[in-house]
Amino acid sequence: MAAVAHAPVRVQSPLARTAAVTEWHARSYRRTWRATITTAFLNPVFFLLSVGVLLGQLIDDDQAQLGGLSYVEFVAPGLLAATAMQMGANDAMWPVMAGIRWLRTYHAVLATPVRVGELVLGTMGWAAIRVFSAAAIFTAVAAVGGAVPSPLGVLAPFAALLVGLAFNAPIAAFSASLEGGDDGWFPALNRFVLIPMFLFAGTFFPVSQLPNWLEPVAWVTPLWNGVELCRMLTTGDVDALLAVVHVVYLLAFVVVGAYVAIRIHRRALLK
Amino acid sequence: MAGGGPLIEARGLTKRFGDFTAVDGIDFAVERGETFGFLGPNGAGKTSTMRMISAVSPVTSGTLRVLGHDPGEDGAEIKSRMGVVPQQDTLDFELTVYENILVYGRYFGIPKDVIKSRAEELLDFVQLNERRESKVEPLSGGMKRRLTIARALVNDPELLLLDEPTTGLDPQARHVLWDRLYRLKQQGVTQVLTTHYMDEAEQLCDRLVVMDQAKIVAEGSPRELIAQYVQREVVELRFPDGTPPNGNLEGIGDRQEVLADRVLIGTDDGDALAHSVHELGIPIESVLVRRSTLEDVFLTLTGRTLVD
Repeated sequence: MAAVAHAPVRVQSPLARTAAVTEWHARSYRRTWRATITTAFLNPVFFLLSVGVLLGQLIDDDQAQLGGLSYVEFVAPGLLAATAMQMGANDAMWPVMAGIRWLRTYHAVLATPVRVGELVLGTMGWAAIRVFSAAAIFTAVAAVGGAVPSPLGVLAPFAALLVGLAFNAPIAAFSASLEGGDDGWFPALNRFVLIPMFLFAGTFFPVSQLPNWLEPVAWVTPLWNGVELCRMLTTGDVDALLAVVHVVYLLAFVVVGAYVAIRIHRRALLK
Repeated sequence: MAGGGPLIEARGLTKRFGDFTAVDGIDFAVERGETFGFLGPNGAGKTSTMRMISAVSPVTSGTLRVLGHDPGEDGAEIKSRMGVVPQQDTLDFELTVYENILVYGRYFGIPKDVIKSRAEELLDFVQLNERRESKVEPLSGGMKRRLTIARALVNDPELLLLDEPTTGLDPQARHVLWDRLYRLKQQGVTQVLTTHYMDEAEQLCDRLVVMDQAKIVAEGSPRELIAQYVQREVVELRFPDGTPPNGNLEGIGDRQEVLADRVLIGTDDGDALAHSVHELGIPIESVLVRRSTLEDVFLTLTGRTLVD
């Protein structure tokens, strides 16, 4: 048998492999972006118009509860954080299930030198890019519409990114744990966790409006922490200590979520 | 990497899922340049073995060395020198034929321009260059398989693993695929494949092991296995009412297997045996004399057919 010259084995960094996974998602997305543009962009802008501008005109500008903000200024950062939540969450549901169980594309990735952690983080990386771009566009639109009074608003998309990942990472862990491939959990997660947060965790009104016993429940939701952080930035009314608390709280969801997600992906993919 | 020991070596290799033993202490070695097969029915443990070799399934016990490394320790190193064609297609339907190769090549850290020229060669090789810009979804089963093979070759692997490469393909598509795999063998790519088709094993494998119920029950080249376990020829008898008349065939031939719809008789002289069966005067619908195959080996070893 004649010896064959095989290409030399390439030494490659974990970062490059992680980026290759992100690149894969980006290429796949190029064919489906039209379908997701509604959730990513149009819906939040419609919300801003309908609730923020049109409904907001019925609300007096000098409401003490709104801290001197117009209603559209109050609701814009809420919608920003809520959109980031929704995108981060959705990207970690059906796509993860498909990669592991339906289309099995994650198995193809793991037949190569890419490790599970790189696969999970590369996938989160793509969610991060999506969330950040949508957040940046939304913030720009809101700013043009006069809903972002502070120049600190340029930092708001970064806060939104943190919110998106704080949902993306733990939900990716959850999706990977659904052994039987039962996607019936996803609508339930939407109905009983995400939508209630969207409605009650500070997006549309200050949580001080909630019954006293319910207010602390809102405080522990990652969305409320995200909304508050975004609101500080777009309005310029920053409480540094609280801001740090929100950032650390959200980061904890990202880091712990990613750690658990990697472990559960490993269990699901490397049997 | 030239010469050295076997490319794959397994001793007492075992895989358990809870109480279920999928692979039960098997030993085998695959030498550089050969095409090595795992032949057996569904559930024999072939895929579990392949997954351990491809470093995506931890070994429960025993030892396994692949390309000189321990899959549990150096999975990424092994994978960088190996190509995997899984049983179920794992192509990305959102991408084009070309992009599937491009994206895959990036996982190995191959620069884009290198992948580009390599994809050109590979798509020529698997006869898919006209479909380069096509999406994957509308491709036929055979084309998808060929694309999966092209994708698995993007890193120029020393070792190619194929898990049931032609299951579900029509006969023509199978032959195209066999032809490509033979070309790869000529180019020196070591191949390990699983199959439950004996004709595939005979066609492709230099050496194979027969697996049944998590164990290896025989090992050798197709010719050796036939010579060792069965007679040279088989006479297949079918009867008008389906089942053979009781007792009448006793003592005929060297070995008899009674199946649901026919009786197989092993012998070194099929024509003579067919003649003597006719002389018995029992009603027979058809007599077929053929060469023994691996299917007969499997039947002899396990009492069952490969594809039920």
